Amino acid sequence: MNTSASSSSRTVVSVSRRILLVAMLLVLFGVFTVSMLELEELYNDYGRQYFFENAFDETGSRNFVTSILLDYRLFDSLFEAGILLIAVSGVIWISKHDVEEKNARFMIDKYKTPDLFVTFSRLVYPLMLTFGFYIVINGHLSPGGGFQGGAIVATAILILYYINPDKETNIGFIVTVEKVVYLLIIVAASVSIVTRGTFFTNFFPVDAPADLKAIYLVLLNVLIGFKVSLGLWTIFTAFLKEGR
Amino acid sequence: MNPILTFLVVLIGFYGLSTSTNIIKSVFSVTIIESGVILLFLNLGNFEPGSIPIINDETVMIVDPLPQALMITTIVIGSTVTAMALMLCIKVFHQYGTVEWKEILRREDIKS
Amino acid sequence: MVDYLTELTFIDYTGYVLQILLIFIALAIVLHKKTGTIVILIASFSLVTASLYVLNNAPDVAIAEVAIGSAIIPLIYVISVSRQREFIVLDKAMDDFIITDEQFTGIGYILLKRFADFYHLELNITNDPMLGRQDEARDQRLIEDTNVDLIVTKDKETGDYILKGKASSLLMNKLEQMTKDYEHVRVVQFKDRGLGE
Repeated sequence: MNTSASSSSRTVVSVSRRILLVAMLLVLFGVFTVSMLELEELYNDYGRQYFFENAFDETGSRNFVTSILLDYRLFDSLFEAGILLIAVSGVIWISKHDVEEKNARFMIDKYKTPDLFVTFSRLVYPLMLTFGFYIVINGHLSPGGGFQGGAIVATAILILYYINPDKETNIGFIVTVEKVVYLLIIVAASVSIVTRGTFFTNFFPVDAPADLKAIYLVLLNVLIGFKVSLGLWTIFTAFLKEGR
Repeated sequence: MNPILTFLVVLIGFYGLSTSTNIIKSVFSVTIIESGVILLFLNLGNFEPGSIPIINDETVMIVDPLPQALMITTIVIGSTVTAMALMLCIKVFHQYGTVEWKEILRREDIKS
Repeated sequence: MVDYLTELTFIDYTGYVLQILLIFIALAIVLHKKTGTIVILIASFSLVTASLYVLNNAPDVAIAEVAIGSAIIPLIYVISVSRQREFIVLDKAMDDFIITDEQFTGIGYILLKRFADFYHLELNITNDPMLGRQDEARDQRLIEDTNVDLIVTKDKETGDYILKGKASSLLMNKLEQMTKDYEHVRVVQFKDRGLGE
């Protein structure tokens, strides 16, 4: 990292090439500035008008971003959840430490966590978990949703590693649960073929009251939040086992 | 004015990506480029005046919600790609003992 | 132009100031040398962009960026960067070559310390009994599977000390040069079997 070659790192890319690089980037910057001056002619308003007038009646959620992610463009969200699954499997395969801990233990443990930190983490952990669940469930009424809440719950579980550094987690079990939850998401999204005739939308009909349509939104938010938090937890565990 | 300042951040990220000798620094620069692009999309979505895209009884007009939904997906995907790239960096260090890519290439040329 | 400047509200001013701050933080990340400081700069970069997302009327994106970019990403960076600062040695000789009681002494320790200081690495010596009890034939497997970088053993017939490491590692050449002066120390390099087996 800070090897002896770092003193000559300035000459790896020579000065004339750096000036050429900066000149090319400035040309790009000039082109972008010129095209920004004509933005008023390129901007169109139709999408915004449509969402403002019709989205609440058709989907039943007050948060427009959640209605796009879970009703109008559910196909994109399914593939995003699939990318998380692929990334988790890639990280586990590269690290090759799935169940047993095989690294050497040191005689002097230089990385002991201070006690103040441990006590504070014990205080903060239930609050963070509750906050994460609140954001997941209230995705259709206020800013939030499945992806955001899943990331917060994963951060809360990470605090457990500070409190107890020798915690053993069974990665195989977590990955199996994650795959089952992903299949449940696809099933819940495909129920609408029976009631409404198209795939990947709300399974209540369009003229049902907004409270009934919210059942589908809460269910899907909870499943997606579950899946995202499990996936990020697996990535942490693979990194921690590789790093110590 | 706002999109122009944001595009400078993207260009700084490109400069860092082209002139870095450390593998970890390249991953940092890709993170900067990605954050800059997301900010650029949100700046363009905020072009006409409006309020946040959550409706209640007093909303007059909202900001375009479609770029925001796409950018949430982008953030999650970017973080997972960063995680995989860093795992590969750890493996390269474990194999070769250093992270400067010029030395690794020189070593491969000497061997072959 | 003057009319444009006087029509700006307070929120517009805050937006411009934060964006100029963002440009400076990005320049600092790209031009700095030590990777330990850059991790903290990345966390502050993510925080400033989250504030900018709120000022652009996008609260959902701001929550996602704060949760992912301020807690998860810096933690992963810290783990991968701190891993690269250590040099782990497994001591199987268990005699005067490296003495590891209250203070560290011994010829082998001084040699390894000079070697580690040359590359600015931290030296970490262990004599874990579970790993140390494996026999000689499995040493190569041991280096590949765990995070040990060097194994120190003692040859029973000649009394030489053998230091074993990976052939693909670039640090081994330097170690060979340094041990030429010591006549009872040898360096053995394992040829690797390739990644992805």
